[in-house]
Amino acid sequence: MKSTPLRRGLFVALVIVLILCCFLAPYAWIVASSFKNQLTLFNDVTPLSWKAFFPVGGTFENYRTLFERTNVLTALLNTAIVSGGQVALTLLLCAMAAYSLTRIKFPGARIVFVLILLTFLLPIEAMMVPLYQVVSGLGLSNTLAGVMIPWIASPFGLFLLKQAFEELPVELEDAARIDGAGHVRIFFSIVLPNVKVPMLTLGLITFLFSWNSFLWPLVIVQDPANQVIQVAIAQQGSPTQLPNWGETFAGATVATLPLILLFLALQKYFTQGMTTSGIKG
Amino acid sequence: MPASNTLSAASATGSIQPKTGTRKPATRRQKRDWMFAAGFLAPFMILLLVFQYLPLLVMARNSVYDYSLLNPAAAKFVGLRNFTDMIEYEDAAISFGVTFLFALGVVLLVIPVAFALALFLNSKLPARGLVRTVIMLPVVTSSVVVAIMWSFLLDPSNGLINGVLNIAGIGNQPFLTSTDQALPALVAMTLWQQVGFGAILFLAGLQGLPVELTEAARIDGATRRQVLWNVTIPLLSRTTLFVVVIMTVFSLQAFAPAFLMTQGGPQESTNLIVYHIYNSAFIMQQAGYASALSVVLLLVVLAISMAQMALLRSRWNY
Repeated sequence: MKSTPLRRGLFVALVIVLILCCFLAPYAWIVASSFKNQLTLFNDVTPLSWKAFFPVGGTFENYRTLFERTNVLTALLNTAIVSGGQVALTLLLCAMAAYSLTRIKFPGARIVFVLILLTFLLPIEAMMVPLYQVVSGLGLSNTLAGVMIPWIASPFGLFLLKQAFEELPVELEDAARIDGAGHVRIFFSIVLPNVKVPMLTLGLITFLFSWNSFLWPLVIVQDPANQVIQVAIAQQGSPTQLPNWGETFAGATVATLPLILLFLALQKYFTQGMTTSGIKG
Repeated sequence: MPASNTLSAASATGSIQPKTGTRKPATRRQKRDWMFAAGFLAPFMILLLVFQYLPLLVMARNSVYDYSLLNPAAAKFVGLRNFTDMIEYEDAAISFGVTFLFALGVVLLVIPVAFALALFLNSKLPARGLVRTVIMLPVVTSSVVVAIMWSFLLDPSNGLINGVLNIAGIGNQPFLTSTDQALPALVAMTLWQQVGFGAILFLAGLQGLPVELTEAARIDGATRRQVLWNVTIPLLSRTTLFVVVIMTVFSLQAFAPAFLMTQGGPQESTNLIVYHIYNSAFIMQQAGYASALSVVLLLVVLAISMAQMALLRSRWNY
């Protein structure tokens, strides 16, 4: 019996190492290989050597060709614009709608709420064909606005903020109201400053969703000048048709790094948002 | 008669308590508030109607037409033929079948593995924060990058996974180029991608459990295993249902793996439904048929969501 804690400790350590390997090794391989030419890359894998996971004998050649010969740099810039715009507009519109629904009693509020509630059930990505027709009918195909506009009225965002607004004590606003402050002032100077964490959470989840979106931009944008990063790297090629794996890996690294850094810096809010989004369905 | 009740109540008590009179004409202040509410809601509601409800109507209408996206004006009304075509030709049945099989595989693997991970993370561990962070990395990585990563990991001749298998004395496997191995390979990839999310949800559920319950069972002489099976797992039925539904809906809408890794092949063995819809509409230019497929997919997802809500409303959980 004495050896049990020791054996348990060893077992736990082994499981931890196994988990870390399973999840980190693919990233290490991709990033390390993005600094290698084709021959070194293949030699390190068959037979497998530790060098596969470290940039031994590295070169920046893949990154140079990636930025000089492809539209990846433009695509990164486009994605930053789309994601930034989507975050700003989602926060503003969801907060305004949540304020109306939580602070003002008006006829028809129930119908409005049910209309929003129902869209929770719609698999919008699966409705790409009619959505394509609606957005291109508005003349927004091949534009960055067309990439972001369908997702701004986010039912998830509204629910997250509505919940936060409801938890805010109304007494906070009473004093301002007695002083004769209007709704606009109460909204901007009393409500918004008190819901910073839910706003940050919603902003992060929206950014993640927008940065990673693929199917919709693939459908709505054909012009390479207006393409976003996920589509740009997806169109670089597959293992069978591509002359250089390292360049694809460099593209994948560039497309992922910003989000991973953001996630590591603000992990708490990310996880919070993901669990809420999960619970909200 | 609720209306007359309200009226009589209002007239009876109106002079004493003016606030209960719901039928009284709105005051100027109320009207100003309503105008404001409408204005503040308008941008959100307009976008919601245009980009969520309008496509729904367009989809329903298009599903009874035969047309191409290149020339929508030349649409021809065909009644329910798009739907009968789905039954007559095998492609839709195969694609839905592949998608259900994929979703089933993902759910059956993610639930136990995510739960085990959550239990592990809920115990006293060194490097707990690190493990939590690391299993969430694939969740924040885009499906495109995950698909690219795994198509190279699974490469039949130079892939990393075959490199590892070779060390274990196993020869190179074809993976994505084999009709038998392609779909299981995609399921394994999705497990890797989503298990962290499932584990975080289970962990939140575990940490929300009242400690007294498991402690009481332990004091009553139950073994750890008995507590797990008879107390913890039943208490987490709500969380489990959430994870099942999230993983199902996610799998039903998977697109990037089929598009980037297999192009639906070999021999349609990975022809996931959203990829099939994309192909029908944008490559084959049969947008009417694609709309009909979308209608069926929408109904399936709605049915799952409805079942979830019905189960959550019922009192079978603890």
